[in-house]
Amino acid sequence: MKGNLRDFSPTQLLSLVSLTKKTGSLLVNYKEGDATLSFRDGKLVYSAMGKADGSLASILARAGRISEKQAGSLSQYAAKTSDKQLGLLLIQKGYITQEDIVKSIKRHSLASVNSFANWKEGAFAFDPEKQPDEGRITVPIDLENVIIQISRLQKKDSQLEEEIPSLDIALKFTNRPNVKLSELQLNKDEWRVLNYIKPDNTIRMIANKLNMSDKQVRRVIGSLREAGLVELAHARRRPEKLTEQDKEKKRSNVVRIINRLQSIGAES
Amino acid sequence: MQTQTVKMVVTGPFSSGKTQFVQSISEIDVVATERTISTEEERVKDQTTVAMDFGRITIDDDLILYLFGTPGQRRFDFMWEILAQGMLGFVVLVDSARPETFREAQSILETFRAYAPTPYVVAANKQDLDDAWAVDDLRVALRLDDEIKMLPCVATSQEDVKNVLLELLYSILEEMELD
Ligand SMILES: Nc1nc2c(ncn2[C@@H]2O[C@H](COP(=O)(O)OP(=O)(O)O)[C@@H](O)[C@H]2O)c(=O)[nH]1
Ligand SMILES: [Mg+2]
Repeated sequence: MKGNLRDFSPTQLLSLVSLTKKTGSLLVNYKEGDATLSFRDGKLVYSAMGKADGSLASILARAGRISEKQAGSLSQYAAKTSDKQLGLLLIQKGYITQEDIVKSIKRHSLASVNSFANWKEGAFAFDPEKQPDEGRITVPIDLENVIIQISRLQKKDSQLEEEIPSLDIALKFTNRPNVKLSELQLNKDEWRVLNYIKPDNTIRMIANKLNMSDKQVRRVIGSLREAGLVELAHARRRPEKLTEQDKEKKRSNVVRIINRLQSIGAES
Repeated sequence: MQTQTVKMVVTGPFSSGKTQFVQSISEIDVVATERTISTEEERVKDQTTVAMDFGRITIDDDLILYLFGTPGQRRFDFMWEILAQGMLGFVVLVDSARPETFREAQSILETFRAYAPTPYVVAANKQDLDDAWAVDDLRVALRLDDEIKMLPCVATSQEDVKNVLLELLYSILEEMELD
């Protein structure tokens, strides 16, 4: 099974693998590096993506459970033995529980799937023979629900793109005097965006300042609009600059059209 | 003296009533190149406008108003931009009885507004249908500012169409007074 994500989307691919309960590894060439997603009976068991190589040391470092430096020496240890051995050692020494390890690996896998789901192109191939190295700790994840959630999000994102086609527009607060900002349960990103709402700040400027992607900022604004808190500030339109003469002509035209329209219907 | 022409644009989602709107007030038959559309989703009505609707109202000896209806599908966006150039203002039509098109209407409104800094009004069309949403509800659904005029409309009624256009013209005058 080979192809390109251009023609067969990541979610289609994942759902195919899941539904047909495939075993093997999906290898994808992406512009930011290669990815490997390994499956057993349709369940995702292992993932490696660019720097996030799927090794226990790197997963724990990314999860903030250990420092980069610790990760360095732990991966040397794992290279000599295996991730399974390393995990066992960490548990025995009381650094971490088994549950923590499983959780971290799960989180890593889901993050990989989420980012994979957004890829628009890249050559892929499914190799039924390839399995993760024997020493890796594998945590099987059922993808069906994940895929549904991702599709839902993607649908929402494309709807948001329709609702907010341009980011070159400012935001403003709605006139809702009875809403107390302090009593609303907003998340961090929502607060951050609210702080930047000013007539001169376009959505794009806010996104740049807060280091958010177009998609992220649309989501935040989508939920702020949903809550009835903000509106797109419909640009202080800058009326065309007309000379006094042109303006007079335009005014006279408009008045004539009004008079003419008013007479329609009345004439018959 | 040379005859002057001015134009206004009528936009809105597929099947919102643009052709009907222009037809109701135009003194000529609305010229639109129609072709049959056959995909599933587009079988809402038998034909759709792929060229543009085009209506005319003679104002007096040396002024003609043209009304252009936008082609109903987003893939003809480039034509919208051309249409938007130099327009006096625009009308956004919404089929009040088809909430599934409200999102598209919002999107069209945003897109058009970005093309040109002209005044516009929103017409809640097909108010004669039983399941038409009330204007106030539509305003909330479309997230329209209070400042934006939203008018009830039945596009087959010349009186309604006339009223929508007049409101747009009043807005244009008002805006000219502002600066
Ligand atoms: N009941 C009712 N039908 C309308 C109204 N306006 C348009 N229609 C009908 O809605 C359909 C679509 O109208 P049309 O003008 O072709 O839509 P367009 O795609 O926006 O040009 C046609 O069958 C019209 O006759 C209205 O105000 N009330
Ligand atoms: Mg039409």
